[in-house]
Amino acid sequence: MRRAAARVIQTEEIYPGTFVTWYDAPALSQHAKPGQFVMVDAGAERSGLDPLLPRAFSYYRFRYASPHDSERQFALLYSLIGRVTEQMASMQPGDRVWMTGPLGRGFEVRRSAANLLLVGGGVGIAPLVALADAESEHASRSRSIVLCFGARGAEGVYPAELLPPQVEYQVATEDGSMGRPGFVTDLFAEHLSWADQSFACGPVPMFRAMSPIVRRDGMSRPVQILMETEMACGTGICYGCAVFTKRGVKLCCKDGPRFELLDVYPNG
Amino acid sequence: MSSSVTDLHAVRAAAARPLTPSLSVDLAPGAKRELTLRNPVMTASGTSSNGLELARLFDINRLGSVLSKGVTLKPRRGNPTPRIVETPAGMLNSIGFQNVGVSKLLSDVATVWETWNVPVVVNMLGDTVDEFARLAQVLDGAPGVAGLEVNISCPNLDVGGVAFGRDPVAAARVVEAVVTSTTLPVIAKLTPDVTDITVIAQACQDAGADALCVANSFVGMSIDVNSRRPRTNRPVAGLTGPAIKPLALRLVWETANAVEIPVIGCGGIMDGRDAVEFILAGATAVQVGTASFRDPFAPIQVLEELVQYCTENGVSDINDLIGAVQVD
Repeated sequence: MRRAAARVIQTEEIYPGTFVTWYDAPALSQHAKPGQFVMVDAGAERSGLDPLLPRAFSYYRFRYASPHDSERQFALLYSLIGRVTEQMASMQPGDRVWMTGPLGRGFEVRRSAANLLLVGGGVGIAPLVALADAESEHASRSRSIVLCFGARGAEGVYPAELLPPQVEYQVATEDGSMGRPGFVTDLFAEHLSWADQSFACGPVPMFRAMSPIVRRDGMSRPVQILMETEMACGTGICYGCAVFTKRGVKLCCKDGPRFELLDVYPNG
Repeated sequence: MSSSVTDLHAVRAAAARPLTPSLSVDLAPGAKRELTLRNPVMTASGTSSNGLELARLFDINRLGSVLSKGVTLKPRRGNPTPRIVETPAGMLNSIGFQNVGVSKLLSDVATVWETWNVPVVVNMLGDTVDEFARLAQVLDGAPGVAGLEVNISCPNLDVGGVAFGRDPVAAARVVEAVVTSTTLPVIAKLTPDVTDITVIAQACQDAGADALCVANSFVGMSIDVNSRRPRTNRPVAGLTGPAIKPLALRLVWETANAVEIPVIGCGGIMDGRDAVEFILAGATAVQVGTASFRDPFAPIQVLEELVQYCTENGVSDINDLIGAVQVD
């Protein structure tokens, strides 16, 4: 865990209301893994007391600025939902913002897993893209990756062209304006038995809907979910981000944000 | 004449040297066991877990003292979520004393504290006076434990907590029960939510407290106007952060003028100048809390800025600053 002033490289609106900002801060990206997160200190100056607390964002993407670079840049994906995200989107290249990271326990992929199922909704796509990127790099392992994404309508769908070409992208929209009419959990149900490992990140109702699907399957297959809770510190010292699991009270920031679906939502 | 020239040289040489202020403070003068800190910067209970996370980030031994998260006799799950909500320049918390219980704290955590070169003070809380006494007995003489902070001010519980701290008789009974059950220095952590804090402070002093911590969080509230429900798991919760700093500072000043024992200032300290304010108001030491949520290095930064203030202002001994605010 390090604290560093990340330098803004560029910001882009990748679909309506959803932004991606690239940052340069080797200390924050060097050992970061898909599913881990950073705390972004919105008040750029220490004297800025409102907003007071930092906000958690999953790593969305990593890249090398040039083939010769040994240090990775990283990107965060976010929707404009409040003062912090609005400030992030309005920052100019060269501006700096304090962050702490990498934090938490990210996704764990078994070496032997050939078929990976990724399920996301909303900005929950961010860590799944990081995972898809990382696993697509291992071409020699001949992995198959299916990414299922759900949105209300076409305008909220993550653009397919931004994904690695190896990823099979399946979309469900509630209004049927793109992909399969219905919910992303319908796609999840169809692919569950195919998958050697499943990973999900999205809103709580999505997790709740996934739970009975996993139990109905009869195998109680593990599904790694990435959770988001109210969180003050992100570093394990405030105890604000409690997650009540079958294995006791856990802290989302330190014990998670990766949890087992049925440990947290055993009954939906 | 030659001697006066030498003196002048000595004075000039001293002025050229960077001043290294003496920062050591005594939190329990005259106690059975001393609680002397190498500097006045402590962590606040409940804002640094048990110190292990911060110890991975920086040299924890640089701090004056580390406070444990509040511990109870039995493990507690804590309150449901949401436990945290941000407010302007502050936050409300309702954690509810999630902790592993005193036995596990001693077996798993105090064994690490024992290897540190910084005094660790255990914040402890009971539902009854007897539970406070039993906790004090269990913690007395435990390796790695340098002092006790008696929590009679937690606003997030159904039983005990702030109820003890609002009544001078109850507060004194708790402090007396702890003091007679331990040889460790005892700090009473007071609630700010009283009409006159000096009454409670004097009661705790008379009951044998070695020092007072002023103060715990203020009881606050936040309502979601869409759902028309409180934004925390219980209707009221503890307000901390810079929003409460002027209030806490006033309480420290009032308390320090009313008691003989050391007062520890706590409430919204974000930087070194905030710490200086509390010391000028009468605090012998300060606790850094909510600032660590924003930046886990905050306690170290507060310390460095405090040293910088002393150096820049010719303060050779931090004790000279305590209560040095000029009000006339």
